[in-house]
Amino acid sequence: MLMPPFELHHPETVEDACALAATLMEEGHSFDWVAGGTDVLPNYKWRINPKPHVISLASIPDAFVLSSSEIGCMVSLDTLVASEAAHPLLRQAAAKVASSLIRKSATVGGNLCLDTRCFWYNQSEDWRRSIDWCHKADCGTGADCRVIPNQNTLCVATYQGDLAPNFMVLNASVLIVGPNGERTVDVASFYQLDGMKKNILEEGEFLLKVMLPKDASKREGCYQKLRVRETWDFPEAGIAASWIPGQTDTLQIASTALESIPKVHSEQISQHLKENNGAIDVKTMAVSIQKSVKPVNNTALPPRYRRAMVKTLTKRALMGIMKEN
Amino acid sequence: MGSYRQQPGSGKGDQRKDGKRIAGKQVFPPPGSGGSDPEMRPRDLDFIPETVGGREPKPAGDHIHDRDRTGTAVGKPMALVDSNAKVTGQAWYGDDVRLQGEAIGKILRSPHHYARIKSIDTTRVEALPGVLAVATGKDAPNRFGVLPVTKDEHAMAVDKVRHVGDLVACVAAVDEATAIQALSLFDIEWELLEPVFDPKKGLEDHDEPIHWRGKYHLARTNVQKRVFQEFGDRSLVKTPYAASHGSWTMAGVHHGFTEPHAVVAHWDPNGRLQLYTPQQVPHYTHRALSTVLDVPMHQINVVRTFVGGGFGGKSDPFPHEMCAAILARKAGVPIRITFDREEVYWINRGRHPSHIDVKMTADNEGRISGFDIDALIDGGGFASFGHVTSYYNGVLATAPYELGSFHYTGARVWTNKPASGAMRGHGAVNTRCAVEVGLDEMAEQMAVDPIDLRLANLLPPHSRTISGFRITSNGMREALTRVREGSDWDNKFRQLPLGKGIGIGCGFFISGSGLPIHWDPKNFPHATVHIQVDMDGGVTVHTGAADIGQGSTTAIAQVVAEVLALPVEMIHVRSHESDTSPVDLGSYSSRVTFMNANAAIRAAIGIRDQLLKAAWEMLGYHPNVLVLNDRRIYYKHDPAVGVSYLQALHKAQEDTGALIARGAYRSPPMGGVHKGAAAGLAPAYSFSAYVAEVDVDVETGKVSCTNVWAAHDCGKALNPLAVRGQIIGSCHMGLGQVLSEKMVYGRTGHLQNANLLDYKIPSVHEMPHVEPIIVESSDPEGPFGAKEAGEGPLLPILPAVVNAVYDATGIRMRDLPLTPDVVYKGIEKHLKKVGLDDPLDLETPTLTHGPLQQQLVERAKEHEVRDRLRQRSEDTSAYVNGVLFGFDPNRPLNEQVEGWREADEPLPEQLAELGFAGRAWLKKEQRHMEDDA
Repeated sequence: MLMPPFELHHPETVEDACALAATLMEEGHSFDWVAGGTDVLPNYKWRINPKPHVISLASIPDAFVLSSSEIGCMVSLDTLVASEAAHPLLRQAAAKVASSLIRKSATVGGNLCLDTRCFWYNQSEDWRRSIDWCHKADCGTGADCRVIPNQNTLCVATYQGDLAPNFMVLNASVLIVGPNGERTVDVASFYQLDGMKKNILEEGEFLLKVMLPKDASKREGCYQKLRVRETWDFPEAGIAASWIPGQTDTLQIASTALESIPKVHSEQISQHLKENNGAIDVKTMAVSIQKSVKPVNNTALPPRYRRAMVKTLTKRALMGIMKEN
Repeated sequence: MGSYRQQPGSGKGDQRKDGKRIAGKQVFPPPGSGGSDPEMRPRDLDFIPETVGGREPKPAGDHIHDRDRTGTAVGKPMALVDSNAKVTGQAWYGDDVRLQGEAIGKILRSPHHYARIKSIDTTRVEALPGVLAVATGKDAPNRFGVLPVTKDEHAMAVDKVRHVGDLVACVAAVDEATAIQALSLFDIEWELLEPVFDPKKGLEDHDEPIHWRGKYHLARTNVQKRVFQEFGDRSLVKTPYAASHGSWTMAGVHHGFTEPHAVVAHWDPNGRLQLYTPQQVPHYTHRALSTVLDVPMHQINVVRTFVGGGFGGKSDPFPHEMCAAILARKAGVPIRITFDREEVYWINRGRHPSHIDVKMTADNEGRISGFDIDALIDGGGFASFGHVTSYYNGVLATAPYELGSFHYTGARVWTNKPASGAMRGHGAVNTRCAVEVGLDEMAEQMAVDPIDLRLANLLPPHSRTISGFRITSNGMREALTRVREGSDWDNKFRQLPLGKGIGIGCGFFISGSGLPIHWDPKNFPHATVHIQVDMDGGVTVHTGAADIGQGSTTAIAQVVAEVLALPVEMIHVRSHESDTSPVDLGSYSSRVTFMNANAAIRAAIGIRDQLLKAAWEMLGYHPNVLVLNDRRIYYKHDPAVGVSYLQALHKAQEDTGALIARGAYRSPPMGGVHKGAAAGLAPAYSFSAYVAEVDVDVETGKVSCTNVWAAHDCGKALNPLAVRGQIIGSCHMGLGQVLSEKMVYGRTGHLQNANLLDYKIPSVHEMPHVEPIIVESSDPEGPFGAKEAGEGPLLPILPAVVNAVYDATGIRMRDLPLTPDVVYKGIEKHLKKVGLDDPLDLETPTLTHGPLQQQLVERAKEHEVRDRLRQRSEDTSAYVNGVLFGFDPNRPLNEQVEGWREADEPLPEQLAELGFAGRAWLKKEQRHMEDDA
């Protein structure tokens, strides 16, 4: 497969990167940010929205920060897995991403900003031409969504990143920088319900680092991932749970790979705690999480099954943090 | 025995007493020495059969090749002779070929499932700077296909495209980017046609059948081939003691070889075509190129590059090979075409998606009274090997068990999908899985152990199957016994907790198709090998056998080394070019070791006889009393009296120059005379039995295979290391089919997972511990007793896993692959049926032996004695399928049993009760329809 031609830029500071982005925007050039490249570049080879310019974050020292409270976007998943500073839940989740070889290149930032996936979309150009394109990459045809035909508003491609729900249950936030300055948002608010827009990043902005609150280290977490093979595969469903042991009101559950965005299930939890007088009943909790997600048919396993598994994964994640068998 | 120096004229005087080199003298080993070791190694009696005075046990009795054994190479584990090239990255695969001035070819593929090409305008393509040549279907109107009876392919679509990804046109350009750009400049007018995806729909009449077979076309359906076979006494199945009926859906799977297809074509200055391609069957490509290009075969040289895995997927002549040649002819420069992975899936030729219905019955003595198989297989857009697959799906289930009756209906239909073809275990895998699971189910009904049921129903060595196949060696019983012991079966089966299971499966496969595709028994042998030995002592072996990673080159080198008693390093196998290789029919149907090695042994014996004759002249002892051992020939009773190999060689060639010999192999006449009798005929068959252990997560449906005990009867392991590798590799491939691999055709008929992320080949994490157990039944006609080990070992893993899943959960599942969602669905359905909520409350099956158990065990014991006597040829009485049912093997069965039938067409009264595939028999061929009119 031939990589389409693009110009690669290597800014060395955050400021340079923002200035470069501003210049490109002014000149009307479209561009992508690239960290490890394990998501963007395969898509380029398939001619999925390639851009003429690519800005690499690999020369920016600030992007490599790694401590118990901050993780830079360029930190590789392999480094994260091996890091003793990182929260055990993040290490556990990162170790389940793709394969050991891919984790050497893949980064935290890339995983959080992963493009949404769909089997009508993650295909070669020839293939997509044969279905007359799709809503997400319509090549100017105004093509309909192939997953749910006759609705041409939202893209329902699935977000299949592993790290996001884990950051969510640790109450992490992200630092976003761009030509118009920087801003901090919760990971839970970072995602935007549309498979095309994916997240709140505006043009020219990139995610510089993830920040964890101080009490994150007190939290006990567990991540359950559903996949066909124990390597390579993106999650078909993923449930992360964490709490400060014994404090039911600190319970957090988040899901991934079920919809276009990863989701924190705070509502279901508070409802559940209310109904159970502050206690956790694993079985009913699991059912309520299951009921709150609606996967569609665009990944390897059928949506009905993935939804059914949410119950089991939630149960296991809860048992994991409560150390029950 | 002491050792002797092996090179003439090079005494120890070459070195100084202090060990230093004498000025002007090189210390290279002298010619003919076999490396740096100048001393002869003593005979390795552990690898010389006991029947000829050695210590190698021969439990199956003596073998015709025992006297040719020298204890040199056969039976010794050794690295493949081409492994150094591979591990150092120097092996040249298809895309490694680089020729001066080459250009890049790209193929334009159909975006439509089924469409007529009304016009193609290439003006804009030709005008693009950098484009060197453009070709369309009009440039190559001649049809080709791997089987002479079903040539339905063109280099590029001539009239219609038949699936998304079908070849429409091709272009050659100075670089890949230009070629890709050129593909977007074709102006094509299409007329869309109604596609067919569901094979069941393929049985129905269609306005525009995908292919048209003229007077042989079946009504207006898309049926490419239908088969009916019936043998035996059908009345036996009427009142069964136990019965199993399973309806299976098996997804199509792809070979998943590492190397994508790649080809380089070059017309040399003399106008001869040089085509470099990783082919399993270069000879058929050679023939097809000649047909398509209208060039005589002698003006084409097919060069087989190293093959990065084939598994059947590189055994058709391919349209892109034709395209490269056409473009190269037009452009006047060498053309290289390399596929993307997606293109690999679009050319496909993988295992057929199948609907298989198996009904089987047993009588009150635990004998299998009938197999009733209906197989509807989805051929995709082209015939490929499908004619044969249609037969194999039935006939390869006629052993290893003795059957009261056998009834098979099969149909292969064209659909608008990438073409299915031959894949490791061709045609036998899916039905075998269905049959073995059925046996498990019947064993449960009869309250007997499924291994004992099998042991009490095996055909013995030197017998005949119900369909007339000649069984020679048969290690089935030993294989079953050894996996039973190895896996501790008796303490585990039906005794493991919920979620843990153990299962058994057997296999039976051909060791070389007795009737290969392009074979004229009067004119050509199956395999031919030439050997040349020049004065340097090196042995050059010319063969057309295609090493596709299975180690055929090593096997040939080993058998030649064995006969000539030379180190394997002295044997150089040349097999890449059709210019220098004698015709070989290729690496398919597990034929190479059996046929090519037999031919190589004969050629090597030809060389050996010339050497012995020379030694006779030199020593005065007749060859009968001469011994060949490591680079030396000596008098049997006084090893001191002898000559070195090189001395004998020089003597032998003094008047003739280099020694030349050739050997050929032709299979003996075999089989019945009914229509389709040749399908599945082989000079020998392999047998295998596997026990698999699985863990099933009943809450998620995820199945992991944890342990496999894999016994395979390969006759004689010429290279035990390679056999073990084949067994483990087969397990991996079979596990993929049974647990995770499938070609997914979505709602719109598009292949949804044409890449290696979404097409889920098991990773190392999914790989169980495999304990390969080699069974050696010493085939009387195999080279040194060998049979195949490349395909048969794949068969048993599927049913072993499916049966183990049943043992773990108590639920029979018949949709392959058993992906977690399929298993979970099965569990959900079962929970509903038994009124349970939590899968953790499931009950697993148990076994309390019924009255038949003891009877079967006793019968198996008797048969064990019978089989040993027959295997050692101490009992040479006739044995045909039916003896277990009390028939006389020396009289035709139809004289003994009223109702015994051998048929290749259904009776009119049978038409109403035929299965899905059988319904193809409700249709008439066009020629008969004309009669009606």
